Amino acid sequence: MKFSILFGGKAGQGTNVLSNILGNALTKKGYYVFISRDYQSLIRGGHNFNVLTFSDEKIASNDSKVDMIIALDENTVKLHEKELRTGGKIIQKSGKGNMYFAGRIFKALCIEFSVLEKELKELKFFEENVKDAKEGYNETNEVSCKVSLGKNKLNFMNGNQGVSEGAIKAGIDIYYAYPMTPATNVMGELAEKQIENNHIVIELESEVAVINAAIGSVITGAKTMIGTSGGGFDLMTEALSLTGVADVPLVIYLASRPGPSTGVATYTAQGDLDLARHSGHGEFNRLIVAPGDPKECEELTSQAFSFSQKFGRPTIILSDKHLAESFYTEDKNATITPSKKMTSLKRYNSYEVDDFGCATEDAEIIIKNVDARMKKGKEIEKEAERFEQYKVYGNKNSKNVVLFWGSTKGAILDVMKGLDAKFLQVLYLEPFPMKIKKEIENKNIILVENTATGQLGKLLAEKTGILIEDKNKILRYDGRPFLADELEEEIKRRLR
Amino acid sequence: MNNDKNINTPTIPTWCPGCYNFQVLASVKSIINEELKKGKRKEDFALVSGIGCHGKIFDYINLNGINTLHGRVLPTCMGIKVGNPNLTVLGFSGDGDCYAEGMEHLIHTARYNPDMKYFVHNNQVFALTAGQPTPTTEIGYKDKTTPLGVKLHPMNPIKLMLAAGCGFVARVFAEKEQVEWVFREALKHKGFTFVEIIQPSIIFHQDKNYLDKFYNLQKEGHDKTNLEQAMKRADEFDYNTVKKIPVGIFYQKEKPMFEDLWPQLVELKKKKIGWKDIKR
Repeated sequence: MKFSILFGGKAGQGTNVLSNILGNALTKKGYYVFISRDYQSLIRGGHNFNVLTFSDEKIASNDSKVDMIIALDENTVKLHEKELRTGGKIIQKSGKGNMYFAGRIFKALCIEFSVLEKELKELKFFEENVKDAKEGYNETNEVSCKVSLGKNKLNFMNGNQGVSEGAIKAGIDIYYAYPMTPATNVMGELAEKQIENNHIVIELESEVAVINAAIGSVITGAKTMIGTSGGGFDLMTEALSLTGVADVPLVIYLASRPGPSTGVATYTAQGDLDLARHSGHGEFNRLIVAPGDPKECEELTSQAFSFSQKFGRPTIILSDKHLAESFYTEDKNATITPSKKMTSLKRYNSYEVDDFGCATEDAEIIIKNVDARMKKGKEIEKEAERFEQYKVYGNKNSKNVVLFWGSTKGAILDVMKGLDAKFLQVLYLEPFPMKIKKEIENKNIILVENTATGQLGKLLAEKTGILIEDKNKILRYDGRPFLADELEEEIKRRLR
Repeated sequence: MNNDKNINTPTIPTWCPGCYNFQVLASVKSIINEELKKGKRKEDFALVSGIGCHGKIFDYINLNGINTLHGRVLPTCMGIKVGNPNLTVLGFSGDGDCYAEGMEHLIHTARYNPDMKYFVHNNQVFALTAGQPTPTTEIGYKDKTTPLGVKLHPMNPIKLMLAAGCGFVARVFAEKEQVEWVFREALKHKGFTFVEIIQPSIIFHQDKNYLDKFYNLQKEGHDKTNLEQAMKRADEFDYNTVKKIPVGIFYQKEKPMFEDLWPQLVELKKKKIGWKDIKR
């Protein structure tokens, strides 16, 4: 069983609140829910829509068709009517607010009003909201889909919440940021919990200030994280290089959106893998991890803290708008990797240094320092082997391999069933797990990525010498995430 | 480290013989030694410098801290202060480091007002890259990169800091007595202190005119609590033509400090610990 609902309206009409109320309620009813958000870079007006899909089986993507459209404005019907499945239903009534529609949906899905009332208690303006919701609930008796009671699933959260939770559980002391979509909500999540958890969240004048302040805090021994998107990260890269030379264990959350430049500010892309790998001048090592769902966000964020503390290195958690802002039902707790605070205030330097922490130009010392850095790279590789650097799903003996990383996981795992292929998700992009070579050698390799150039393919070629044929690259670069049914067809066509 | 009181390093200074930076170094060391004698420990300090001739000061004073990137002394200091608000944080920049590359941080740090002591070594030239003009170089100055001469009027950082709401704005000449005096005054002040040290580059910007143009604000009855008067005094030297150069404290007013506005940092101050000591 799978059911999809599209919520559309103008920015400010409350489609997010509306879809999240339903998502939370369905998760508590025992369903798996997934919501993706499509919104423009504006605050009021325009057209935003969320697609919510729920199922009794694990789900983390949407299809190109929906079963129901909740139209908060006329435009929604015009724009999305063609996406409605045959027999699908449109719910609309002009002049009504989002709570009225909440009532309509809950009725349509046969969920008791008390469940909705409970969700509304979490929000402001309870009395007014209940009144509007009741009006919607009592409007008709038409029912589209019966929802029955199951076992409460664990969490309903998005990738940004996963990163925030992971940071808190890893013992974050300080978070610095400058607002930038789609990373901003991590600042909001952490700020909300700063008193309760006793950490601090500070917004500074620019990303340059953010990373340099973070370096200042890190060298006092504080566990520190910063967050941004591609453009902000670009501004940080000189200081990233400083963390590489001065043994500064900084954790950086990089949530991508389509570039180059300002690009498409509120949409999704995976185009910053190359950036994460190659940013910062000079030669130094780093760790780059790429979660594919909120639970992995938690886990890999805690691993990022552990690696950075242990090796005094920058670690990058690479995500994108689709993962950062889509909501997923999680049914298992994350496994958190604890870490000790290993740094303390001593003499740090952006120059190559001697034993006294003073700048040096001595050739022998330079060689010693560079060799020590390179050796650390090897140690990081070794330590990384203790973790799940990649995951394999599907038919492990198939001659087809679908290779992917990050947010495409949702759609890929949702279409995996019934396809004769091994599915390989890379979680550690740096250090790259060389064991992957054995998994994919002499196979028909298919790459799925939200980019125009297939950056994981480039990384694979660099590390293993294995090339993926261009016709086997399923690339999407219109700012939108992969939709499960369309992706299934694309993969099918490339199977041997 | 740092259980002793010795703040010397084995590194031999590489400033040009006769450089005014030696005066600054001697003054800074003497004040830190004074503080150590009064009971402070070396680990109570964090010293940050940027890139340029001034930045070498980090190598010649054995205190914790970082010789950081060009232009980023202030956010780095800020981060150290947030990491442990009990530290006495000393920042050193040059005019290139502060007025060119890192200008936005100067304005914002004045607004944040953390308790940090900041010194700008202003030699009105990019000296370590061999003589290019900075934002405080006078019109007509020539070097290899400006054969037509500098065309732009220099900025006035004192006026800028007054306008930015900085609670302690001072200028001194790179002479031991003056630097020591202003350092002591800055340490007494609660909040962000901006001190510009005029220190001609003896190779690239040796302006001997300066030496008899200085006069001391405090000896001339300047009211340092009067912002309007401070602005007028700041106007007396525009960094372009040298008639007279006021030194001393232009303006001083204590206002709420950054670390006192955040309950988490107040708690760290009360317990005399940094985030490193927070067990989770």
